[in-house]
Amino acid sequence: MTGQTPPGQGEPLIRLTDVTRSYVMGGVANTVLSGVTLDIAAGEFAAIMGPSGSGKSTLLHILGLLDRPTSGSYRLRGQETGTLSDDALSHLRNQAIGFVFQSFYLIPYATALDNVLLPGLYSDAPRAALTRRAHELLEKVGLTAQARHKPSQLSGGQQQRVALARSLINNPDLILADEPTGQLDSGTSREIMELLAAINRDAGKTVIVVTHDPETAAYARRQILVTDGRVARS
Amino acid sequence: MWRVLSRYPRLLWRLQGVAGQALLAHKARSFFVVAAVAMGIAALTVIVASVDGARRKALEIVDFFGPDAVLVLGGDIENRPVGQRTNTLTWSDARAIARSLPGAYAVLPMRSVRAVTLRYGNKNHEAPTVVGATENYAATWNWPLSEGRDLSADDIAHGAKVALIGDAPAKALFGDASPIGRTVMVKNLPVQIVGRLSYRGFTGGGSDVSVDDRLIMPISTLTQRFNLDRNYFRGLRVRFHDPDLIGVHMENLRALLRHEHKLGPTIPDDFTIMSASEILKFLTAFTGGLVAFLGVTAGVAILVGGFVLANLMFLGVSERRVEIGLRKAVGATSGAILIQFLSEAVYLTLAGAILGVGLGVGLGESLSRLGMLELRLSPKIFVLSLAAALAIALAFGLRPARKAAGLDPIEALRGGGE
Ligand SMILES: Nc1ncnc2c1ncn2[C@@H]1O[C@H](COP(=O)(O)OP(=O)(O)O)[C@@H](O)[C@H]1O
Ligand SMILES: [Mg+2]
Repeated sequence: MTGQTPPGQGEPLIRLTDVTRSYVMGGVANTVLSGVTLDIAAGEFAAIMGPSGSGKSTLLHILGLLDRPTSGSYRLRGQETGTLSDDALSHLRNQAIGFVFQSFYLIPYATALDNVLLPGLYSDAPRAALTRRAHELLEKVGLTAQARHKPSQLSGGQQQRVALARSLINNPDLILADEPTGQLDSGTSREIMELLAAINRDAGKTVIVVTHDPETAAYARRQILVTDGRVARS
Repeated sequence: MWRVLSRYPRLLWRLQGVAGQALLAHKARSFFVVAAVAMGIAALTVIVASVDGARRKALEIVDFFGPDAVLVLGGDIENRPVGQRTNTLTWSDARAIARSLPGAYAVLPMRSVRAVTLRYGNKNHEAPTVVGATENYAATWNWPLSEGRDLSADDIAHGAKVALIGDAPAKALFGDASPIGRTVMVKNLPVQIVGRLSYRGFTGGGSDVSVDDRLIMPISTLTQRFNLDRNYFRGLRVRFHDPDLIGVHMENLRALLRHEHKLGPTIPDDFTIMSASEILKFLTAFTGGLVAFLGVTAGVAILVGGFVLANLMFLGVSERRVEIGLRKAVGATSGAILIQFLSEAVYLTLAGAILGVGLGVGLGESLSRLGMLELRLSPKIFVLSLAAALAIALAFGLRPARKAAGLDPIEALRGGGE
């Protein structure tokens, strides 16, 4: 990895210490996260819960290196991330983190296969190995027959399964999902959560799911409750 | 961006695929940019080809005319006064020039007959000009023979029924066969072809008649057999020792002819003296206007192409915010996004350039067929067009590409989803 700090011995995968995030709008500071301190160990399956507007997504974006804390420290795999350049963060996102979003966010003009391959494009892995892995992942999520389909030809549940396969293409340690079942009916939601549980259980990936739905949160072994920008219970 | 270029050749290569896929996905928009750029490049192609063509034609005319020669024609052809005669050049003029004009070493009288029907076997050809010439016509006009021999002093002295044939009538009457030794009926006069002039391929000063469409006969033969006025010539060709002094020579020649023709100070010239540079001036004035028009057109068209590119790219960037946000979320650096969008711009303008060169060549061919332009196509045109295309892509594509590269992934994703 790029960092100088050797991975801390016995340190958890994720360590947030006193993290704040505030937005300044029109001269007025709006503090969304105020002093979040949180450890998540490798291999955990955690749900971040809380009412709408409580800062769940903001927290997930920080965990996913899409956003930087206003203050406080975020150590990922024992490495302080605050000092990393934007390009280094891009590289770390590419290699260590897989994302799943509420609205799937597939590239509309690319096939399911190409969508799964997308994070692989920005990695150093050879194309042939990536393509092989993409086909394996599509098989795992049950979409072998749909590999050449465009997103518009797929149902919501199928699109989210493509997104799940995409999140795994570079074999990251951490999967972050923001309301992954928010646009799905309850049956399909269950399928997606089963898949996420399997990814956690079978592949040993750390999975963090943001949700306000208790049924979805029930799949996780740990519930983290966020209210008013703080971790109320974890 | 430079990091991406230097450290990740594989990524750079992959981004080309990404760019290509994105372009195919937005065909209508891509088409507009390609079309707009193609218009500009087409105009550019025609300009470069016509400037080159005009330059080549100019060189050919100087070469043909000779830098050391002037042509004197009867009558003031530029602004012919009403009632002025064109039969004004006489043997006595020719002798006066040869005798008393300093620096002149050859005076060649010319007579010609217009629109003469040539016949060989069952084939007819209407030659616009049959030229009456003195010996060594091909040599004095720097016009190599492709076959046969030149007119000799004997031919002139004896009024021989011989001729040199131009490329156009030779093709029309003999096809691929050699005309040498054949007898052609010139009106009703049997004339033996002794030489064939090589192909010149351009039209003479101001007219649209090809210089290749002519027959050359001894001036004596022409005068006797076609009952021409024995006293007057259509033209005189005068050659000088020192081409650098041609301006002075022309002034002297003019003064001499005015004296010979007894023209008072208020009477205009009844003859016209032309040098190669005079003919060039006429030619460049003609093509210059067209080139200036096309130059403005090309500049405007290329600018329009650039603005269309920039605007459609800006539109594309806002429409594809989610795509951009997603790519960044999954690990694309700003440099990778910049290169993707710049590559898209480059491919569009290159496609425009290729289409534009094609259009330009087609347009140029039609213009030159209509006789409006002389074209010369060269690899330079292609290289220039590609360079222009690249410049458009970089100049007009950079801002939208940077906008895409600078998007914040969270903002971008929010912009399109929930
Ligand atoms: N870019 C931003 N600028 C200003 N305020 C923001 C921005 N992003 C989020 N917020 C604010 O932060 C708060 C928490 O948002 P979010 O993390 O999306 O909550 P949740 O996901 O829990 O619904 C909201 O009040 C929201 O308005
Ligand atoms: Mg949210």
